[in-house]
Amino acid sequence: MHKNNISNGKFTISKYSNIIFIIIAFLILAIFYFIPTPDGLTHSGQVMIGILIMAAILWIIEPIPLAVTGLLIMIIQPIMHVLPPDEVFSSFGNQAIFFLVGAFIIAGAIEKHGLHKRIALRFLGKFEKSPRIFTFGIMSSCAFLSFAMPAHGVAALFLPIVVSILIAMKITPRQSNFGKVSMLCVAYGCSIGSIGTLIGGARNPLTIGLLSDLTPPINITFFDWMIYSMPVVFISLPLVWFILQFSFPIEIKDISGAKKEIKNQVNKAGKISKKETIVLIILIITILLWIFFSSYQYLGLAVIAILGSVFLFITRTINWNDVEKRVPWGIILLYGGAITLGIGIQKTGAGTWIVNALFNTVGINPYIVVLVIIVLTILLTNIMSNIGAVAILLPIGIAVAAEIPGISPLLAALIIALCGGFAFMLVIATPGNAITYSSGYFSTKDLFKAGSLANIACILVIFVVATTYWMGFLGI
Amino acid sequence: MFKNILVPISSEYYSKGLLERTAFLAEKFKSRINLIYIIEEKVLNQTGKLSNGYRTSDEIAETKKDIIREQKLTADNIIFDDAKYYFKRKHIPFEEKISEGEFSSVIKRETNKKDYNLILMGFEKECFLNYRLLDELDIPIWIQSKGEGKSILSVCSNLAPNQKVPEVSIKLSKLLGWDLNMLYVVDIEDSVQVDKNGKRSDKKPERDLLFNGQNFVDDMKNKGINIKLVRGSLEKVTLKAAEEINPNLIIVGREQKKKGVLGLPIKHLKRKLAEKCKYSLLFVN
Repeated sequence: MHKNNISNGKFTISKYSNIIFIIIAFLILAIFYFIPTPDGLTHSGQVMIGILIMAAILWIIEPIPLAVTGLLIMIIQPIMHVLPPDEVFSSFGNQAIFFLVGAFIIAGAIEKHGLHKRIALRFLGKFEKSPRIFTFGIMSSCAFLSFAMPAHGVAALFLPIVVSILIAMKITPRQSNFGKVSMLCVAYGCSIGSIGTLIGGARNPLTIGLLSDLTPPINITFFDWMIYSMPVVFISLPLVWFILQFSFPIEIKDISGAKKEIKNQVNKAGKISKKETIVLIILIITILLWIFFSSYQYLGLAVIAILGSVFLFITRTINWNDVEKRVPWGIILLYGGAITLGIGIQKTGAGTWIVNALFNTVGINPYIVVLVIIVLTILLTNIMSNIGAVAILLPIGIAVAAEIPGISPLLAALIIALCGGFAFMLVIATPGNAITYSSGYFSTKDLFKAGSLANIACILVIFVVATTYWMGFLGI
Repeated sequence: MFKNILVPISSEYYSKGLLERTAFLAEKFKSRINLIYIIEEKVLNQTGKLSNGYRTSDEIAETKKDIIREQKLTADNIIFDDAKYYFKRKHIPFEEKISEGEFSSVIKRETNKKDYNLILMGFEKECFLNYRLLDELDIPIWIQSKGEGKSILSVCSNLAPNQKVPEVSIKLSKLLGWDLNMLYVVDIEDSVQVDKNGKRSDKKPERDLLFNGQNFVDDMKNKGINIKLVRGSLEKVTLKAAEEINPNLIIVGREQKKKGVLGLPIKHLKRKLAEKCKYSLLFVN
């Protein structure tokens, strides 16, 4: 994997293997540029497939930062005459970008004032009946907070809270199943919660951004997204928790240590401050506006997000320094690359060609196709960045929808976006897994054991929800 | 024999069994224990790397600080408490400290500061930490695993000087009261003879290696040691014998295997043995 340093404004590639992977990625692109074009594919389409493979290599191996790969995707298209520069960079005009910026600013304010910690402790305090219920409390608190802020931030918040509780309870790292389940509940709770709203993971706005750029456009509101995703969240959450209980039966019975520590932390946090109250009010209003007024005939997602952010500045609960500290601009660039990749794949007909090549052998039964998309996305999201996996598969999934009767672009996009969050098996799959692994309370083997079972369960959940609720009940 | 024992515990991997074994050995050998809890740099870097792009450098730095703070608390409140429980009641003198860095580098730094006679540590294949110290240190390294036998399997071969292993094995067997079983392996994949100074010869015919092996076996038998001559791949033969004997400890020397299956170069023999073996290992370097 990469070893780079972007903190000082430049990155350095410190391993020869990284350089080799960069050369391989460009070599593949060059091959696609020069080889003869097969029947049914334009030269631009062929180059786009080359760019897709190059992006996949760079996003999986990460010899350069994810965002730089995003930029690379954008500039290569005009260089190779696939799309004109105007068209490529116009993707940044998508309102999903500004929704992301606004959402990050609001999340930054929540983090700055420690409101997320207060909410987390309040929530956890409701689950002190038994060790089992407590672990469910951890999982649902993480999921709940991931509805309102990025999931990685939630994992980082919960790490010290849960570790302090485990230490207070004298729970030994690696040896206690309660310790394992508690930390895994943080990782999986954040991942599952991240699919619930458009805020939890940047792949969700990416998906609606790409859908809104289709012809004809498909516009998804905040509330629409929740209607699609929440059944998956509410089925997966207890199911995965049950798998954890089954995989690592909890050995302790007394939860008084946890109660004491939570009380201690609540006391430390003190009374809610004026600024916290303001942030909380702005957050609630923003979410309500997103739920009820984010459709295009009203305000739209980005306007509400920016409005909420502006109010945070007006009320002086956040300043520009905080924004610079807490908004990951890299993800915006990554987003730009991902969306132009999707548009390029579509416009050049590369997606249709890939789908025809793939499904000539698999067949066109829509149920099999749905299953293939689910499994492929979950496998890919476990070995590379979630947003990278979604960025690569979305254009292909949308092309699948155009070619295979019974599958709509919205259905394919939802499957890919939601499955993109189910990175349960490996430490490298998502920052949430790595953050919780660093606690030392579970091993990579534990993660793989529970994660593979959880992934199988979630494959079934998504399949059932997709074929009955989305396709059957909602008719998408 | 083991006056000063260094016990490194990584933030990535902890087992109470290691402290239990340390207490057992320290009591037998009247050792001083130096316990060092290492906050593994590789895990911190990995977490930072994965968060890169999703989170800002300030947020990543905050999380890193949180992780380090919690790991220090874990060491102070759980691991060092366990150590006190095991060592104090047996009146074993010990010191404890916390260090940040890469596992092997921290241990090497520590061994440069003080003379240690043994490094006693745990091992887990799937960890991010690097076990290069197995090949880079001249101090005996004991890798503790769960084992319930009451014997020692001592491995000599054409690929090692076979000087320290018999000596250490006999001593340990007497002091610990564990039965000693010795094995001389003629490795057919790398058919050279390593001399007393650790120098590899040119390729030799198998019968010469077997002849040398037989001489060694006869010599050991004269000393009353239960020994067997076996031919095959060093790793496979060792693991097979361990399965049969179910030892508490396997002692391996300075094996210099350079070629494996199909004559391909072999790397990190000790690490491979540690990965595949479910018994405790003592590498007499």
